[in-house]
Amino acid sequence: MLHLALALTLLAAAQPPPERTIAVDERLAADLGLRVGDRVVLRARPEDAEGDTVRIAAVTRRGADPSEIARDDYRVRLHLGQLQALIGYGDRVDRFAVATTGDSGTAAVLRRVNDAAFGFRAYRSRDVAVETSRTFAVVSRFHRAIGVITIVASAIFLLCIMLLKVEERRRDVAALRLLGVSRASVVRSVVLEAAAVALAGSALGVGIGWVASAIVNAHYQGVYRTPLVFSLVTPGVVTLAVALSVTLGVAAGLLAALRLVRTPPLALLGR
Amino acid sequence: MTVAARADRPPGTSRAPAVVLRDVHRDYPLAGEAVHAVRGVSLEVAEGDYVAVVGPSGCGKSTLLNLVGAIDRPTAGTVTIAGRDVSTLGDREATRFRLLTIGFVFQRFYLMPALSALENVELPMAEAGVGRDERRARARELLTYVGLQARERHRPAQLSGGEQQRVAIARALANRPRLLLADEPTGELDARTSAEVIALLRRVHEDGATVLVVTHDDELARAARRIVRMRDGRLEA
Amino acid sequence: MIAARAAASLLRHRARTALAVLGVAVAAAMLLDMIMLADGMRASFRAMLDVRGFQLRLSPRGTLPFDTEATIGGAGEIARLLRANPDIETVAPVLGAALHVRVPGTADVSVVGLGVEPAVQGDYALVRGREAARPDELVANALLLRRTRARLGDTLTVAVGYDPQLRTARGTRRLVVVGEGRFFYLAADQPAAALPIATLQAMGGPERADRVSLFMVRARPGADVERVRAWIAERVPRVTVLSTATAMAAVDQRLSYFRQLAVILGAVSLVVGFLLVTTLVTVSVNERVGEIAVLRAIGVARSRVVRQIVLEGLVLSVAGAVVGLGLGLVTARYLNGILKAFPGLPASIDFFLFQPRDAAAALGLLVVTGLVAGAFPAWRAASLPIARTLRQEAVA
Repeated sequence: MLHLALALTLLAAAQPPPERTIAVDERLAADLGLRVGDRVVLRARPEDAEGDTVRIAAVTRRGADPSEIARDDYRVRLHLGQLQALIGYGDRVDRFAVATTGDSGTAAVLRRVNDAAFGFRAYRSRDVAVETSRTFAVVSRFHRAIGVITIVASAIFLLCIMLLKVEERRRDVAALRLLGVSRASVVRSVVLEAAAVALAGSALGVGIGWVASAIVNAHYQGVYRTPLVFSLVTPGVVTLAVALSVTLGVAAGLLAALRLVRTPPLALLGR
Repeated sequence: MTVAARADRPPGTSRAPAVVLRDVHRDYPLAGEAVHAVRGVSLEVAEGDYVAVVGPSGCGKSTLLNLVGAIDRPTAGTVTIAGRDVSTLGDREATRFRLLTIGFVFQRFYLMPALSALENVELPMAEAGVGRDERRARARELLTYVGLQARERHRPAQLSGGEQQRVAIARALANRPRLLLADEPTGELDARTSAEVIALLRRVHEDGATVLVVTHDDELARAARRIVRMRDGRLEA
Repeated sequence: MIAARAAASLLRHRARTALAVLGVAVAAAMLLDMIMLADGMRASFRAMLDVRGFQLRLSPRGTLPFDTEATIGGAGEIARLLRANPDIETVAPVLGAALHVRVPGTADVSVVGLGVEPAVQGDYALVRGREAARPDELVANALLLRRTRARLGDTLTVAVGYDPQLRTARGTRRLVVVGEGRFFYLAADQPAAALPIATLQAMGGPERADRVSLFMVRARPGADVERVRAWIAERVPRVTVLSTATAMAAVDQRLSYFRQLAVILGAVSLVVGFLLVTTLVTVSVNERVGEIAVLRAIGVARSRVVRQIVLEGLVLSVAGAVVGLGLGLVTARYLNGILKAFPGLPASIDFFLFQPRDAAAALGLLVVTGLVAGAFPAWRAASLPIARTLRQEAVA
């Protein structure tokens, strides 16, 4: 990719034709207060005395490309010939984009180009995309690892809370058992309560997650000035979270309940 | 061995009262209504005396005991223990007073389950700042006194009810209190172990302690030198 | 005796205590990792910048070093100007260019080429061999040697570009490998070579003549770096002068995501640890209200009760922290391994860097959390109405 240090100077006075046109991105337009129809001078190097005077023909919006996220530079689009002339690049380009007639066509073109090529190579767009999204593959692996750690932590937390919650019911359980309520019923009621607590907790958690996600998006969209969505609460994520917490809650409740009913009721009362 | 402390007094003077209650009231709110647990009780317990307060449950005798023990404060009236008005003590002073002047024995023993018999007896002395060797020695002495020298390493759960109550009495005597208070000390015990505890309290009294028990155990009450009857928050003449 | 009672009360419910300690441990591990993440990147980036003691970097105006392909013209004159300043000790010019090393029988190897003045360069450390003193010599990194199967003393054919019409390589030179270097600023998967800057400029033709990508400047010991920076900025307006501090700020801005993530997850870990400890201690106090009331009745001071309960919370969090710190180091290694795969990340940069003060910070935070977590249940226990609690316990 070609990055140029372009010095722009706003021109107050009109210049005579022939006039070339460029497109600037929204960010640049906003920061310098540029509008369509304004004239600017482009120079390839700050020290160059002369420059091209051009008219802004369009303001473009940047696509939501994650690989550009941390770059806070500006973008200007110009006609190819003008850029080549401006930077003294001669009759050279960085790359060609080639549209083919289908998958078999692509393979044939790749082969023919690479056989004949000297000093350049043809790639499938798909492979290029994989290469440029490597950063995001890394970030998402990192997030997955953090996610696993978080899940382990919350599992332990849940287990602990459930255990305590059931332990709190020692006396009630003892009284129920002394009244003749069967172990199975006691376990069932404890597990049911655990499930209800876990369900209520995950509903609350989904709510908090949704709000947090909205805050994260608003924040980072502002920081990086991009329409990219950073955090997405999908039905899959919600299902996973709820299923996980209910499963863990029920398991913890069951574990604690079984421990309780195995203890003789009088021992539960502390006698 | 001294089980309890007595006030120093010039020879030949009469014994000063250990407990003086003057028109003591205690109300507390229960479900929005004021319960009058103690209504105008006046009582004196002489130094070295052994008094049993008896009455039906709910008559206010436990509340009375809490007032004497500086656990609770009267709504009206004064409570003077060993010459000191405890009805106006702040929490810090009241705590210190309970630690050094009062010995408590509860119906359900209330030993610390995590500590051994010996450590339970040491606890009030540790709190009072008694050195390790000294308090250990006295704790052993006290356990011997209550007949449990062989059980000092046992945890409360490994002791019978009677044994636990004897440890509790040893604990109550740890700081040589001026006054021993016992709230239904035989309430959780069978006849045989009750008899042991009654005999022990009697011996404690004979060895010089001032003892105030509340109970509805007739055997225990008969062991006292004086019986005071209580009904509906008042003492009966 | 307070300690004994706290220990006894924790040991009474072993399973519960163990689970809480484990929970705190995971939270502690996460906290340590996040402190390492928040701090480590900056520390290792700073270490990388400071590796050769250059405090200032001059790049084409408006760019960060090697962020674009832009270069600085009139390099010789700038270098002379800088070297004339008595506050400046060393000026190291660097020109970057993509090079192609021809390997007979296989495809060319793409190499990051750095043109340097070997006597003053600050881009690599020699591992073996010697500096490229003569115009036809180069220093390669281990990866380049491996890819080309070259050894010290071998000659490589190096080109700076291709001419597709003539089907020839442009700016070709035959250079002798005289040393192996470890390059500070390059990714581990990047073959690299350093050669005399004049050679690289000559290979690049008129486009590269008298141009550099970057000047690195080391001020004389005792000189005011900020004054030197301001002086250069004033005298050479065509460049952006970056001090270590401004470079750090730029990095901070680009990697702010990781620091914010670290702060948020660290805070969440602390909250989780806090909740665990406070819940456990609260439940344990609730179970023992009778016991506590009795202790108070027999004359144990309020402050003692508070101290014992706070101690319980503290023991839980410290035990968890100790286990967690070990766990944290292991997970940090794992997570660092994941992030090290960032394309183009200099090999010397670590995201998770262990510094003893990180462990101290994590431990300190957890101790404070433990104290605060124990404070509420302790306060509740201390303010129990003794008489009423005893009565209720007797009824129950």
